[in-house]
Amino acid sequence: MPEEGEKEEMVTPGEVLGKAADLKAGKGAYVAPYRSSEIQYVFSSLTGLRHTLTPPSDSPDQRPTVEVIGHKARGAVPEAGSVVIARVTKVMAKTASADIMCVGTKSVREKFTGVIRQQDVRATEIDKVDMHLAFRPGDIVRAVVLSLGDARAYYLSTAKNELGVVSANSTAGETMVPISWTEMQCPLTGQIEQRKVAKVGS
Amino acid sequence: METKPSNGSPAKFVDQLVVPGDVILDLSTMAEQTIKLGGGLRQDCDAISVIKAGILRFSKPNKYWVESSQKRYVPCAEDSVLGIVVDCKPDNFLVDIKGPSVAFLPVLAFEGGTRRNIPRFEAGTLIYVRVVKANPGMNPELSCVDATGKAAQYGALKEGLMFECSTGLSRMLLSSPTCPVLETLGKKLPFEIAVGLNGRVWVNAGSPSIVIVVGNAIMKSESLTKVQQKIMAEKLLQRVQQE
Repeated sequence: MPEEGEKEEMVTPGEVLGKAADLKAGKGAYVAPYRSSEIQYVFSSLTGLRHTLTPPSDSPDQRPTVEVIGHKARGAVPEAGSVVIARVTKVMAKTASADIMCVGTKSVREKFTGVIRQQDVRATEIDKVDMHLAFRPGDIVRAVVLSLGDARAYYLSTAKNELGVVSANSTAGETMVPISWTEMQCPLTGQIEQRKVAKVGS
Repeated sequence: METKPSNGSPAKFVDQLVVPGDVILDLSTMAEQTIKLGGGLRQDCDAISVIKAGILRFSKPNKYWVESSQKRYVPCAEDSVLGIVVDCKPDNFLVDIKGPSVAFLPVLAFEGGTRRNIPRFEAGTLIYVRVVKANPGMNPELSCVDATGKAAQYGALKEGLMFECSTGLSRMLLSSPTCPVLETLGKKLPFEIAVGLNGRVWVNAGSPSIVIVVGNAIMKSESLTKVQQKIMAEKLLQRVQQE
């Protein structure tokens, strides 16, 4: 491919991007010795376009960073601090599991699991939280990603006014209407169920 | 869903056998009042319909529920049950209480329980516990302490014999005044008994023959009326005394 003005070229996994002494490996690249020699090279690990980032002038390491951006459009990936929409799958004594469906405004392509711990449900009285009165399986919640968590799931938190259950179905099957920050009501039977409700709107 | 609402008077259904689909109450024909629905009943807009086959019961002033007897147990809060320990985890014991899922008994839920004196229950230990929380979809939570914090007979049951029965029979054994079979046997034979609402009964006595007599008498009294139970128990006692 002809080089663009910004030096973008198409690379494939395993292609040498440069010497490790000259370049730092960014996203989609890694450092390894070339065959059996001791010289470290930077290789690409993805198929995509290669970008070079200039280093900030005040850092001691003045090597430019090279990164490879996958050329296929990929779904969003949750990062620490991003707001996600998730569906609750299991509610247990101290945690609730949820399947992350959207990150920000984009939907995800693969399955990501998140876990909401008892101490992350709300900001006040965190040890008196009853998980069953906050979430039920099937609820749609808006949460913020706390961290990448452990190997199994991201850690999510709903400890803000605008986070929590956005939409839920009652035991009768109807979508419930929120009436306070802890209660939702079924329009068909009038039964009130407890949830940690998100404050939607201004 | 087309339901023909029956004429809203539940009186003719109380203490009768009802099957799923029967509409026992039509709220639109009733004045402003609060009605409490127990198990086996469901509200469909204005009609209260039955979802479990059994006998409809009513208790003043306004409680309705369906009583049925089956081998399966549905965990309910504040029930005292007999559980069998399946596994020990760092925070909980896993206990089988004949419900849809295994129940958790926190390691600290004992009288004076601290991290230092955690009881050692092996897999297979029979324990008498109380159900604290039983939400649908979650594993039930148990406790060996009653609501005030005292031990109150909860805990491991040693020796004796445990057998299973239906939930209806356990409820009858626990009813007050004492059911006739237990009363008749208790007058002549010394034994101790623990009844779990989940369909398990534990009997212990000085000699194995007494345990077996009591166990058989209870299992036979499943479908007998009060008078028949008394007669059956007395006959059994006579045969025992003869030997």
